[in-house]
Amino acid sequence: MEKSELLNYFQEPLFISSLSATTRDAALDELVRCFVNAKIVRNRNIVFEMLRRREALGSTGIGHGIAIPHGRSTAVPDVMIAFGKSEKGIDWESIDNKPVHLVFLVLAPPQEQNIRYLPILGGLVEVLSDNKQREKLRKIKSFSDLTSILQS
Amino acid sequence: MADRIKTQIEFLVALQDLDLMRKEISEVRELGFEVTGEGESAIGTARDELIAKIKKPYLANYERLRTRYKRAIVPVKGDTCLGCFCRLPTSLISHGRSDMEVLTCENCGRILYWLD
Repeated sequence: MEKSELLNYFQEPLFISSLSATTRDAALDELVRCFVNAKIVRNRNIVFEMLRRREALGSTGIGHGIAIPHGRSTAVPDVMIAFGKSEKGIDWESIDNKPVHLVFLVLAPPQEQNIRYLPILGGLVEVLSDNKQREKLRKIKSFSDLTSILQS
Repeated sequence: MADRIKTQIEFLVALQDLDLMRKEISEVRELGFEVTGEGESAIGTARDELIAKIKKPYLANYERLRTRYKRAIVPVKGDTCLGCFCRLPTSLISHGRSDMEVLTCENCGRILYWLD
């Protein structure tokens, strides 16, 4: 999936420029709350539990300060990405043991018409494997900064 | 793992989510995400723990529906079952959003979960 296509799955209410969470569970909770506050998800506990179980399968911290927690849930209506940035860094038990500064939470329903979930995950992994993109993302302060990077 | 979910419908939805997760493990691993053998067994244990919390008739219905349909639990949107696209009766709608009861579609029999 092209970088610019990923932009379709981000929304301003699902953007946190400075996460207050200092732990992985708290960060997941903070991001899931965005979906609830935006009235996208009704029951945050179901989604939170799914994400915790996904982390038990293996950390979604892919290294270089990035985490891409993800999962399908019956409680989610559509494919969407929430973004959160942590200046201090969060211990995510990442593969390189480094703290996570950028979190991309990808949620999807069990079935989708266009099968976008896995291509979105793959697209994010590809974009974030580029050091220049990561550096730019570390500096963003607003949702428009994020969209500018994804459009460039 | 201390659960935040407490009701039968929440346990059932969590079970379906877990089954979906298990189904896509290889695809997720191919994308470069870490999936450990230890993690896979932890997921198996989590499933057993969830099953133990679900009342037998509900679990039996879930397993039966899984063999019949792609998904045993389907979302409800706009008061319509998204499994068979039948409009649900008002008596059912008033209970659905509380997440306290396990309700099924009178037409297709699938378990219902209210999205909105």
